[in-house]
Amino acid sequence: MSTTIDDDVTTETPPKPTKRQRQAANIADAASGGIKMLLFKLVLLGILDAVAVYAVLVLAGFGQWLIAIVVAAVAALVNWIYFSRRKLPAKYLTPGIIFLVLFQVFVLVYTGYIAFTNYGTGHNGSKEQAVSSLMASSLQRVEDSPTYPVTVVDQLGTLGLLVTDPDGDAYVGTNDQPLEPVDAEFDGDKAVAVDGWTSLQFADVLARTDEITELAVPFSDDPNDGAVRTPDGSSAYLYTSTLEYDEAAGTMTDVTTGTVYSDIGTGAFTSADGDELLPGWQITVGFDNFVRAVTDPRLAQPLVYVTLWTFAFALISVASTFFLGLFLAIVFNDMRMRGRKYYRVLMILPYAIPSFLSALIWAGMMNESFGFINQVLLGGASVPWLTDPWMAKLSVLLVNLWLGFPYMFLVCMGALQSIPDELQEAATVDGARPWAVFRLIKLPLLLVTVAPLLIASFAFNFNNFNTIYMLTDGGPRDSNAPIPVGFTDILITMVYKVAFTGQSRDYGLASAYSIIIFIIVAVISIIAFRRTKSLEELN
Amino acid sequence: MRVNKKSLLAAGAVAVIATLGLASCSAGDSGSDGEASSSGTLTVWVDAERVDALKGAAEAYTEKTGVEVELVGKDNADIKDDFIQQVPTGKGPDITMGAHDWLGELSTNGVVAPIELGDSAGDYLPVAIDASTYEGTTYMLPYAVENIAVLRNADLVPEAATSFDDMIAKGQAAGLAHPFVVEQGAEGNPYHLYPFQTAFGAPVFGTNDQGYDSTDLQLGNAGGEQFAAWLSAQGKNGTGNFNTDIDGDIAKQAFLDGTAAFWLTGPWNVGAAIDGGINVAIDTVPSPTGEAAAPFAGVKGFFISSESKNKVAANDFLVNYLGTEDVQLELFKAGNILPALSAAAETASSDPIIEGFAAVGAEAVPMPAIPAMGSVWQYWGIAEADIINGADPTATWQKLTSDVQAAIDAK
Amino acid sequence: MAKETKQRGAWAEGLAAEGEILAAGLDADARERAIKDARRTGDGYVPPKRPFKFGRWFRATGWRHVVGVVMVVFALFPIVFVISSSLNPKGTLTGSNALFSRIGLDSYVRILTDPQVPFTQWFANTLVIAGFTAVGTVFLGALAAYSFSRMRFAGRRFGLISIVVVQMFPQLLAVVAIFLLMSAIADWFPAIGLNTHIGLIMVYLGGALGVNTFLMYGFFNTVPASIDEAAKIDGAGHVRIFFTIILRLAAPILAVVALLSFIFSVNEFVVASVLLIDTEKQTLAVGLTKLVSNPRYADWSAFSAGAVLAALPVVALFLFLQKYIVGGLTAGAVK
Repeated sequence: MSTTIDDDVTTETPPKPTKRQRQAANIADAASGGIKMLLFKLVLLGILDAVAVYAVLVLAGFGQWLIAIVVAAVAALVNWIYFSRRKLPAKYLTPGIIFLVLFQVFVLVYTGYIAFTNYGTGHNGSKEQAVSSLMASSLQRVEDSPTYPVTVVDQLGTLGLLVTDPDGDAYVGTNDQPLEPVDAEFDGDKAVAVDGWTSLQFADVLARTDEITELAVPFSDDPNDGAVRTPDGSSAYLYTSTLEYDEAAGTMTDVTTGTVYSDIGTGAFTSADGDELLPGWQITVGFDNFVRAVTDPRLAQPLVYVTLWTFAFALISVASTFFLGLFLAIVFNDMRMRGRKYYRVLMILPYAIPSFLSALIWAGMMNESFGFINQVLLGGASVPWLTDPWMAKLSVLLVNLWLGFPYMFLVCMGALQSIPDELQEAATVDGARPWAVFRLIKLPLLLVTVAPLLIASFAFNFNNFNTIYMLTDGGPRDSNAPIPVGFTDILITMVYKVAFTGQSRDYGLASAYSIIIFIIVAVISIIAFRRTKSLEELN
Repeated sequence: MRVNKKSLLAAGAVAVIATLGLASCSAGDSGSDGEASSSGTLTVWVDAERVDALKGAAEAYTEKTGVEVELVGKDNADIKDDFIQQVPTGKGPDITMGAHDWLGELSTNGVVAPIELGDSAGDYLPVAIDASTYEGTTYMLPYAVENIAVLRNADLVPEAATSFDDMIAKGQAAGLAHPFVVEQGAEGNPYHLYPFQTAFGAPVFGTNDQGYDSTDLQLGNAGGEQFAAWLSAQGKNGTGNFNTDIDGDIAKQAFLDGTAAFWLTGPWNVGAAIDGGINVAIDTVPSPTGEAAAPFAGVKGFFISSESKNKVAANDFLVNYLGTEDVQLELFKAGNILPALSAAAETASSDPIIEGFAAVGAEAVPMPAIPAMGSVWQYWGIAEADIINGADPTATWQKLTSDVQAAIDAK
Repeated sequence: MAKETKQRGAWAEGLAAEGEILAAGLDADARERAIKDARRTGDGYVPPKRPFKFGRWFRATGWRHVVGVVMVVFALFPIVFVISSSLNPKGTLTGSNALFSRIGLDSYVRILTDPQVPFTQWFANTLVIAGFTAVGTVFLGALAAYSFSRMRFAGRRFGLISIVVVQMFPQLLAVVAIFLLMSAIADWFPAIGLNTHIGLIMVYLGGALGVNTFLMYGFFNTVPASIDEAAKIDGAGHVRIFFTIILRLAAPILAVVALLSFIFSVNEFVVASVLLIDTEKQTLAVGLTKLVSNPRYADWSAFSAGAVLAALPVVALFLFLQKYIVGGLTAGAVK
């Protein structure tokens, strides 16, 4: 290439800027120097401070002191960063990092926290909730007892029930006072008012709904006769409770069998025989979940082949989508080709359709007996796309390629623009053939920009739960395995099946598995990062 | 740029002024933001397709008592898990729609409160009340009883079949290669195949007076093995009447196209069949043995959250409003499933199709809700699918029984 | 002044012409001659008329069309199912292989008019949420990428690695965690908590600093530091360099990130379905999925119709952004 062009660049002033460029320059001028910039910054920070103070006041109003302090500290930090003269990187990074920490890191920390608890089916809430739930479900209606029409009454803040028994007599009682006969006013068959007590209207009943749920009027002095309770404020029934809770001793006693269940620290009331009363509650269990995750005997058999397949799936998916995307980006980068705009639009359509819809369609098309591919494209063949272990793996890779190549195509389209044309032209002039140009110049430069993306894509596909689940659910099943694992299961879907079996969901175990898998993937990624030179400067 | 005293002062001034402005607004707000108005609202989670049906009841209740009823349409796949996760946080709904087989899981997690039907319990179909009760306590207000039956294309086959073989014979006489379809899938569909299993005398669990007995696994009894053998004869290597490649859509298409005359499915598909122009008749499930083929009954109803702050209103709304004939019929219109209230069931049965389903439902037994059932579902379908595709029936069925027993014992 | 303008104009045109010449694939001699001609006449490059040889055309461009057609078929044929299903209101999704057996616009009419299905509301919600998310992601990401690329500070490499590694964490319990977080925020600041669009956008912006940032970082690295230095000598501050130079030169990758972020938000379902409770506030992904969530009452035709309509803004955005992504000669000239 002759050097005259370069000379022109250095000696002549650049072409006159467009209107937009001038506008941008004006903004930037204002932004980068002098009073205007300072004022702008002050206004923004002033608003931020005002919002922070408002937030702190609201939080203090709710008694959330810890969070209020954190908000105040963060606001102070932000002010310090933006008012100081240096701290340049921090100024650019702060907004993004605030969002990152709040929404992503929090999720991480929460998942980590759950891994150390026994949260899951049977340990769903707190101890108080478990106790109240147990007590509520232990109520048995006394056999052959009638329905009593009642009115809720109140005396100096204490609630009572005005009960009409089937003989037409009225009784009144409270939580502490068993039913006693009284003279009452009747409205038809129901006693509605009595002296010394105020009758509650339905609206008042609703306002005190908690107390009414707790209201259990002893039928007589003998506790074995049960208590009268009303679930809806207008009718009541006679109940006995099969469980007795001793808060001081921390035990639940089953009065019908005499078994005593105590809180032995496992998160549920347990009897001497080891029977548990469910629901239990959440407790921290230390490293139990991690130990179980690693030593679970059910995993031993499928673990090896599932792990191998997971790595294969991730690597092949990344490679195939990248090379197809790159190939297409290059093919459609040529100026001479007309209509490339339309080809490009049509090719990113797979990315614009919701992926679960696409997965369902592919699954339908790949149906062995009735699917479109077998029946129409192959004229009645019987290829077991999803039911043969190896064909299923191929099908999964094919569908993942279909789902993923538009993304790589887009990225490569953008990244290709970063390669200066002069480099390629210089090489062509020097006599290099297109393939050599690609291999020695374009690809290395492209990889610098794109390599981290490939690593991230590897990690994404390593944990690509959705595609596998929607296409095959891990199938075809390995009937010999003790867990419902299949031949296209990857690690994350397999652990999902171990932790969430049938009706029970063990979130603690699932979190422990997630963390272990994350550590594996993160270590691999960090090693890969160090090997690419992406962290170095390249100009 | 220079950070000097003047700019600091300016910053301070701006901040103070803005703060005072906003703080004066907040002083007004933060007081009242304290308590959510929980005593005045009932939040009800409803399946997305049934929201309209409850609007009438919700409005009537609000008029009568002043309590706001908020209907939230939820995604069917998420509603159970979301309910279990959200109730302990205190942010869950007061009432949710659901199915009776959730009861084991809901009760184990302590998220449902008992409901007292009082005397009105007698107004419901017995199977509905049965299903709404778990370990002796009632938790659910039922609104629909659902079971499968055989849809017959009366134009192709004018007479009902008397037995399974008779059904196939009649269909083939009408010129169809595969006259019977039932939805399966790669992992099997034991729910749909259950009536055949009971015809051989093999229920899943035995019962005691508390309901299903998790220690009494009946799946693997002699009847079960006979069922497995029969299933194998009807599978890929036999008559081909059962095919794991057929999913719900394909079965539907076959019936609508007229390539199948008998479709074992539930009331949710009747609308599509009628719209497709098929002359539909409802038959009981033809039995492969002489015994009755009884399908599962799935009962749908409403649950009250154990953390609801409005249990009194919730109870009232459910028992006294949703338990009335009008509302039960509204829900029926939305889903076409037999209502649980006996009076409403009778009214609905004036439609011969519903009557047909009700007749089958009279023999139906509720799906077991006990937690042990989860272990059964894990292995059951895939075992049946394997048998259909040619695996040895006896060995597979025995392995199924031992796998399930081991899983139950492990808990 | 006029002469300078004319000269600058000629210079720019000359560059454009040179580009065309180089792209025309002539051999070396012809190229030199053509370049000299173009400079002399200032008319731009007028290629000599050559007979159209199919073989040559095919080797140069025709094969690209073949690739294009093959790829379009591959990319589109499952989508043909979607379109067919959307036009067949009583049909199933994949139950039948008879595509386009019935053509009817009933499903489209249904989703646009059914009061239970506030499609236009969902559409508007989705555009708002996805739009703000895209803009926010590009802006936050570009800020961070600029600092990683142009500045050296302690923890830079650690920061780069960690923003990507954090995103690799399995999102198994993300739904529960985000629900708890947003409902707590809703207790104190209802305007930005559960069941608000702002809350959802904030959650999405939590992912702004991630792989997309890395992409921009990589691209920024290819912009020579000499440009920065030249601008600094001219007296520009770092903010001015950022806005006027770096952002314009990085337009392709910014457009790509904007598009990717937009598509992600349009299709994102899990978090949106937990956070947006009221039907009027929901997005297309959440609303349409309700149509098919119950497999027994699934209306695949309406869902497909909705999916087709939902793909339109994505396509429109891509068409609009294409010229930024493949800026081609403009980018080269400014450099």
